[in-house]
Amino acid sequence: MFKYGGYAGQILDVDLTRGKSVAKPFDENLAREYLGGAGFCSRVLYDEIGPRTRPLGPENVLVITTGPLTGTLFPQASRHVVAAKSPLTDIWGEAHAAGHWGPELKFAGFDAIIVRGRSPKPVYIWVEDGKAELRSARHLWGKDVYETDAALREEVGDGWSAKMLYIGQAGENLVRFAAVMNDLDRASARTGMGTVMGSKRLKAVAVRGSKDIPIADEKKYVKLMDELHAKMLADPFTQGRADYGTPSLVELMNEIGRLPTRNYQTGVFEHAEAIGGKIIRQRYLVKPRADFACLQRCGRYTCVPEGPYAYIGGGPEYETLSCVGSKCSIGNIKSILYAHHLCNRYGMDTCSFGSTIAWAMECYERGILTKKDTGGLDLTWGNHEAMVELVRMIAFREGFGDLLAEGSYRAARKVGKGAEKYVMAIKKQELAGQDGRAQKSMGLGNATAARGADHLYAFPVLDEVGFEKAIKERFSARYLPEIGQKLNPKYKGLMVKECEDFAVVVESVGICKYGTMIPPTFYYRDVLRALNATTGMKLTERELRRIGERIVNLNRMFNVRHGIRRKDDTLPERLLKEPSPDGPPKGHVVELDYMLDDYYRLRGWDLKTGLPTLKKLRSLGLGFTVKHLPGRRRK
Amino acid sequence: MPYLYCDAMKCTGCRICELYCAFIREHALNPKKARLRVERREPAFDKAIACRQCADPPCAKVCPTDAIVRNPKTEIVLVDEKKCIGCGACVEACPFGAIWLHPDRKKAIKCDLCKQCIPRCPTGALWVETSEGSAAKRRLRLVESWRPVMLERIQVPGK
Ligand code: SF4
Ligand code: SF4
Repeated sequence: MFKYGGYAGQILDVDLTRGKSVAKPFDENLAREYLGGAGFCSRVLYDEIGPRTRPLGPENVLVITTGPLTGTLFPQASRHVVAAKSPLTDIWGEAHAAGHWGPELKFAGFDAIIVRGRSPKPVYIWVEDGKAELRSARHLWGKDVYETDAALREEVGDGWSAKMLYIGQAGENLVRFAAVMNDLDRASARTGMGTVMGSKRLKAVAVRGSKDIPIADEKKYVKLMDELHAKMLADPFTQGRADYGTPSLVELMNEIGRLPTRNYQTGVFEHAEAIGGKIIRQRYLVKPRADFACLQRCGRYTCVPEGPYAYIGGGPEYETLSCVGSKCSIGNIKSILYAHHLCNRYGMDTCSFGSTIAWAMECYERGILTKKDTGGLDLTWGNHEAMVELVRMIAFREGFGDLLAEGSYRAARKVGKGAEKYVMAIKKQELAGQDGRAQKSMGLGNATAARGADHLYAFPVLDEVGFEKAIKERFSARYLPEIGQKLNPKYKGLMVKECEDFAVVVESVGICKYGTMIPPTFYYRDVLRALNATTGMKLTERELRRIGERIVNLNRMFNVRHGIRRKDDTLPERLLKEPSPDGPPKGHVVELDYMLDDYYRLRGWDLKTGLPTLKKLRSLGLGFTVKHLPGRRRK
Repeated sequence: MPYLYCDAMKCTGCRICELYCAFIREHALNPKKARLRVERREPAFDKAIACRQCADPPCAKVCPTDAIVRNPKTEIVLVDEKKCIGCGACVEACPFGAIWLHPDRKKAIKCDLCKQCIPRCPTGALWVETSEGSAAKRRLRLVESWRPVMLERIQVPGK
């Protein structure tokens, strides 16, 4: 039995080249120092891959992992993490998803799966109660996610009790922003993790289990969970989430001028209401859906009953509505819902998908791309038919879709003619649905995130709608009111640093950012109580905070080895130099340098280079990374 | 007969009821040891399924050791694990698929209406229902739908 509760205690190590898999014990020290999930990935991949690893070569390592709270009764304990070197950003790659797959992996007796090599033929992994086997996926290759799901269910039997994780055609065709999907509509979307899975010819991982997740403090457990559940349900945010999910952010972001519109030309979209939370709830919502142990049920099950955009399935999040909708100036909600559904079927990140089209539409507006380049496709702003057409063209790399399948950064380099100027990406990954000019903390958080443009790495949202109470609790009242003002860069370095540290802890224990970051219901204290009751680790809050900081620094060092420095922690020129034209942020740009100085200082990183200092690394127990500091500078 | 009912329109498929049930009753965080099971089918169907506490329980009838008995006072059907030999005849006999063998002990387990899950369902999808009660509700709904027609014909004082 593993020393700590919450863990299955075993890792499945799969070598696809040789067609073999072995079960290995989970390293106790690793659990104590990195917990699991994102932290586990940060250490394993740091040790196993590096600058010479080609993201789509067999030498890349794909890790799929849960955290110690995944599959438990902690509110929203439904998460798993997928990580590898990213074929989109060429640096740290990581994506997360909720669903029922992660918990089932644990019930099947594994905390994580490490996938190496490349299979000569398409395969899938079947995991059941401590055993794993590689099976041919030849008949599944070329099938979309829905079809794969149905075919796999036939094969493993017992209806819906098995849980599936898979790629669609986008992953098979090595679209650089392919997603790893699970439970039909859940996506580990960003940084092309589905592309890595496709390059390994791994089509799916199906799991079923009937094992217990051990709990260290059984006596206190029910009472503690009852208390946390009550706290979650009492949060006024929960009902709103259940009613509207994240789509209601469309209206809210539009109000604060933060809804990226026409490739960030503005942050106010004239058709926001037509693509927002209200209309989706009124016309297209079938019912709210929950992932494992989820009390907030922000998942939408939606339907367009008839017409060319008819479908039934999971609904989009705010990010999709903004990337596929407002960024492309599309106000036709049915087309967005349908494109989202197709992206899920083909297994593609809707953020990079929509953003890449928005970039192409701007190039089209400016004459950089013409019908000759697009193969006759009219890329005028708002042309939803062309957008929907492009989902398939990109997933299958047909015609003009082949260029866009590379993502906006690479596509722009191929196109030339100044197209690069309109790429709204950081470290080669497209921004999601945030405009840092309207919320400065988001500007900074996107610039510093380890996986390229990423609103979730820090997910600083406390200044979004003024969570004063949480700000007081998390940062102290002394930083108010500035820290809570979204247009004020002051104290945003502190906010982003603290949010990053906590967010990686959240992703390492296997719980959701909803309920921890927003609404800010649970912070270190509650997570720690649950973690200790579950695992028996007897961690202190200081240790838990240190784990967060350790993971962020290790991710940074992974990127440092790939040449990432301060110069890369930047934003697209538009956000730094073009003042926002409309709404509350009118006249604002992102004061990035000011915030970065603040951030590096708090991080204990070098102001000029953005490199972690020797002292910082050693103090976090990251001495083994010191050899990778360029010139081994002493400070 | 009272039994644990789940409203499929409210149920979101979170499986919190399963987890609590398994932990409270079996001291194990393991949905396969729960006494109710949440079924999810696409499109959009979620429902927790538990024993109906049948008046004339087929599971009891087929049990070769008479391990399953309905208590006429409480109207709850119970399994005597000491008598149960784990043959699974009841599992096959139950028309609702609401009884199964414990994965380790290999004894039949089923809902015995302890009600621990009910207050813990975040959407209020679970409650104790009786067939009589649900029929009464339905009759009431029917009558309610006639109300406007009735009101047109009846003189109501103060209207
Ligand atoms: S707790 Fe309630 S909502 Fe969740 S699965 Fe059970 S019955 Fe459904
Ligand atoms: S287990 Fe099935 S057959 Fe037996 S009483 Fe319950 S519902 Fe009826």
